[in-house]
Amino acid sequence: MSAPTAEPGTNVDDGRYVYCVVGVNEDDDESEWRESNGVDGAEAYLVAADGVGAVVHRCEATPNPSDLSAVKQSLLRHQHVVDAAGEAFGTPLPLRFGTVVEGGDASVERWLAETVETQRQYLNAFSGKWEYRIEVGWDEDALTETVQASDEKLGELAETLESSSEGTSFLVQKQYDKRLSELVYAEREERVAALAERLDPLVDEMEELGRPSVSLDDAGDSEGGPSFRVAVLAPEENEIPIGDVLDDVEADPATTEVQYTGPWPPYTFAPSLDDEEGTDDGDGRTTDAGDEARTTDGDAEAPDAGNAGGRSR
Amino acid sequence: MSSPGPTRTSDSLADVVEMLLDKGIVINADIVVSVGETELLGIELRAAIASFETAAQYGLQFPEGTDMRRVEAASGREALPEGEDGPLAPIIDASSTDVEAETTKEHEEDDEDTETEADDSSETPEATAESGGGDVDR
Repeated sequence: MSAPTAEPGTNVDDGRYVYCVVGVNEDDDESEWRESNGVDGAEAYLVAADGVGAVVHRCEATPNPSDLSAVKQSLLRHQHVVDAAGEAFGTPLPLRFGTVVEGGDASVERWLAETVETQRQYLNAFSGKWEYRIEVGWDEDALTETVQASDEKLGELAETLESSSEGTSFLVQKQYDKRLSELVYAEREERVAALAERLDPLVDEMEELGRPSVSLDDAGDSEGGPSFRVAVLAPEENEIPIGDVLDDVEADPATTEVQYTGPWPPYTFAPSLDDEEGTDDGDGRTTDAGDEARTTDGDAEAPDAGNAGGRSR
Repeated sequence: MSSPGPTRTSDSLADVVEMLLDKGIVINADIVVSVGETELLGIELRAAIASFETAAQYGLQFPEGTDMRRVEAASGREALPEGEDGPLAPIIDASSTDVEAETTKEHEEDDEDTETEADDSSETPEATAESGGGDVDR
């Protein structure tokens, strides 16, 4: 059985917690590289094979964060190590949190050797590029005012509304509201499209992220109004030009918030290793055990939990 | 945004949670053990970090070595929230006690409760957590 989903704190045989994969050159002294303060306080080091290296630490069990505070600390430490690796070796291929390989360094080396072609291909493709996350919100009321001021038909309906009897006004009001909501929707779409178009030449890839699943308290009032939330893969030198575009957007009074974070390792754009169908290179170099068991990574245990699409509750 | 460059502030913790738990390479091979259940904790965590304030209420803490002053500045707040117990409490004690001491100097004609509270808070952290709440109301 491949990739079993373990309980936190499961004992493993000569385990290696894996953070990310990096490209190593002959002149990199990878055996010297160390990063302390990893997950569970461990020291991370590099296991290299065939010009790629996995950043790992030794462990006897899978991570077992006992409470929210510990989860948060573990996540930040994981990210800390990936950041350090990125700084030392260039854009890394980040692994999902909580991945442990059994069988020591030898096992990690074997896995690297088996997947090296795909790894290298993506390392080259991502070289000098990072993931950035962009979120822009627009104020519903401001959009409403904009379309009210600009749409003639709405103006006519408003006039009719004033001069009509009670019975008619009910129907006219319905027409008015319907047109208004359509126009506000269209206005938002237009802004999203315009922004995406301006970003397009600056980014290699863009992926829409959907609503963040933060909401304990925004179930009632929607706080931000309509919004645009994407992850982009972009060359490092486009960081500032992207920021300039976002500054323009922020200057629009209808914009409520702009968030621009990064540079992150390309989490969202990371390839699916070991999965023949999932990688578009199609070179067929997959590990023999990986394919049929692809859906086991957490989904089977917790259908709601692992599914990015299902989080907008 | 004050500068056109991207940032990583306390807000981006939400990004970290989302990326590390939902994205990234998944290895499917028989040498791998991956932790499934942290995702459930991750969902709770996402809810908890809806805002930094909420996170603080949950008693979440940043890793050692984090410059809390920068985090506070980034979150747009001057002082840490009052009346909370947990690992951040000692820092709160210090700031709220200072504020209290200053206020006491400025308003010496104020009732004696203030003095008593200030004294209490310098002795035990628990007492400070309670008196901190009173401080806000004033």
